[in-house]
Amino acid sequence: MNWEVWLGTAAVGAIAMGCSGGSSSPEGGTSTSNAAPNDKIYTIGMSQCNRGEPWRVQMDADIKAAAGEHLNLKVIFKDAQNDTLKQRSQIEEFITQKVDAIIVSPKESQPLTEPIAKAYEAGIPVIVLDRAVIGDKYTCFIGADNVKIGRAAGEWLKNALGGKGTVVELKGLQTSQPGIDRNKGFREGIAGSDIKVAFEADMKWLEPDARKEMESALTRLPKIDAVYAHNDPGAHGAYLAAKAAGRDKEMLFVGIDALPHEGVMYVKNGLLASTFQYPTGGKEAIEVVLKVLKGETVEKTITLGSRVFTKDNVDAGGEALP
Amino acid sequence: MKDAFRHGAAARALAALVIVLLLGVIFNADGAFFKLTTHRDALRQASVYGILACGMTLVIISGGIDLAVGSVLALVAVFVSKMTIWWGWSPWLSVPTALAAGAVCGLASGLLVVYPRLQPFIATLAMMVFARGLAKTLSGGVKVATAVPQPDGSFEFVDVPAVFRGIDSRVLGDNLSVVTIILAVCVAVSWWALAKTVWGRNVYAVGGNEQAAYVSGISVVRTKLVAYIASGFFAAVAGICQAAQEQQGDPEAGVGYELTAIAIVVIGGTSLMGGQGSLALTVFGMLTIGYLEKMLSLNAVPEAMRLMLTGAIIVIAVMMQRRRQL
Repeated sequence: MNWEVWLGTAAVGAIAMGCSGGSSSPEGGTSTSNAAPNDKIYTIGMSQCNRGEPWRVQMDADIKAAAGEHLNLKVIFKDAQNDTLKQRSQIEEFITQKVDAIIVSPKESQPLTEPIAKAYEAGIPVIVLDRAVIGDKYTCFIGADNVKIGRAAGEWLKNALGGKGTVVELKGLQTSQPGIDRNKGFREGIAGSDIKVAFEADMKWLEPDARKEMESALTRLPKIDAVYAHNDPGAHGAYLAAKAAGRDKEMLFVGIDALPHEGVMYVKNGLLASTFQYPTGGKEAIEVVLKVLKGETVEKTITLGSRVFTKDNVDAGGEALP
Repeated sequence: MKDAFRHGAAARALAALVIVLLLGVIFNADGAFFKLTTHRDALRQASVYGILACGMTLVIISGGIDLAVGSVLALVAVFVSKMTIWWGWSPWLSVPTALAAGAVCGLASGLLVVYPRLQPFIATLAMMVFARGLAKTLSGGVKVATAVPQPDGSFEFVDVPAVFRGIDSRVLGDNLSVVTIILAVCVAVSWWALAKTVWGRNVYAVGGNEQAAYVSGISVVRTKLVAYIASGFFAAVAGICQAAQEQQGDPEAGVGYELTAIAIVVIGGTSLMGGQGSLALTVFGMLTIGYLEKMLSLNAVPEAMRLMLTGAIIVIAVMMQRRRQL
């Protein structure tokens, strides 16, 4: 066998891992509450696009916690492992099972629009989380606005730096919508000020990559006033690079997502100057499900607000952004 | 080693490195390429890949391949983080245990290769998927960091363990990363094993012609098993270095690292058909990949362009190696 064949097959291996390596939790884990004997138990199907990302693990945890407060709700969690077709069959399974409501956080808009519409037409309320689908054949869409959050981060940094300074931007994957939006919003936020983005790189949401890129930025720039990373692990990686260079006190670190055990902890420990919450909508999804099951009408689109966490407000649970 | 230099492979591997270094000199990012810290950081960044490539070289010369190293890295990163951060174990206990875990993964791959006689590609592909799953199971799907979950659902923040800080520190007046020293030790040990021991000679013999090696009385099974165990062991070393540098055990760490390690070995000029190559060549390959990455990062080259350039450099480097076979 020669090397081309080896490398070719190695590439196939990488793809195989992408598909099969994505399972982080057993499929179909359930959380049941102790219901009183005579109550009707409502079953909710939840299809998560993947449980590899901490933020999505948090979304499932939020749903579980919110559902746990209601004795008559039972949630079936399914992990689509980043596979569109798997997610499609999960929704079809929920229809066959005749669940009382479906919550879905889709991997992609186009291929999941039809399966979701089928569930909706079968009379099952469908709550779509985070990524929208096309058309209007769903009950409610709950999501946050990454452009708005990026803009808030830009404006916060503009204030914190007094309107001028040198900034490093460590971007999330620039072929993903959140990465594009967090970049766009930030640039809007700092527009009109003397803040200059002197170094920018795509760290693909990964902490080791953020650290590598930050090392390059530190070598190139004699003075850095702030680092804006599109997620908290990225900001943390940048912090580690600056600390290793003995320059962490020179600059502010700003991240996004504000998961309780990640970004919020980093702020609490003085590593990050601020982090901006990207809410999961898990709690809100259960609230909407309850309203729908009671026969109340709900809004078609709910845009979630964000919160900013700084060292001054982190102990008070952050501050809601306007 | 001798074989490699006799065929002039070392000179060709060096040529690829020189091309990349020249690119660095030309695109020096306002002089940043000439700063000492750039080279220190390039070596640090290449260290984890380099450590993986040490084990990969042994396996490839023996006529096999190990696709599991990236996943074993993640598994060990999670495991060592759990032991040192969450359970507060002493590094004297947690580090050897983690290294043993890596070696066991390597042993499992090796056993699949020698007894059911699975093709190394398939055996280690299975181990790659399995170890990734095990890493995710062990971690519960979250990163094992200094935020330790408590039974009541809250988090307690603990210090980064001293062993992690030690591995991620620098010595010699801040000019040499500890992980680079670890890499140097790994290179030295695997070079010695390959070039100076009977086992090393057997590796070349088995990789070159398994039948002939068997007939001449070499224990093919033992030779191969040791190669896979070594690969698992080095993946564990890399996993510990990865965890120390990230200050956490990420079950998603190391995805695709096995391909970088293979690329390093191949760019160096070690033959994927087995029986030929050396650790010295792998060091050249490692420096080539490491400096290429650093140069692209310093110049803030967009991601899409980086991927294309990396692909092109791999092709050019390997084409230069193939000339000897024509």
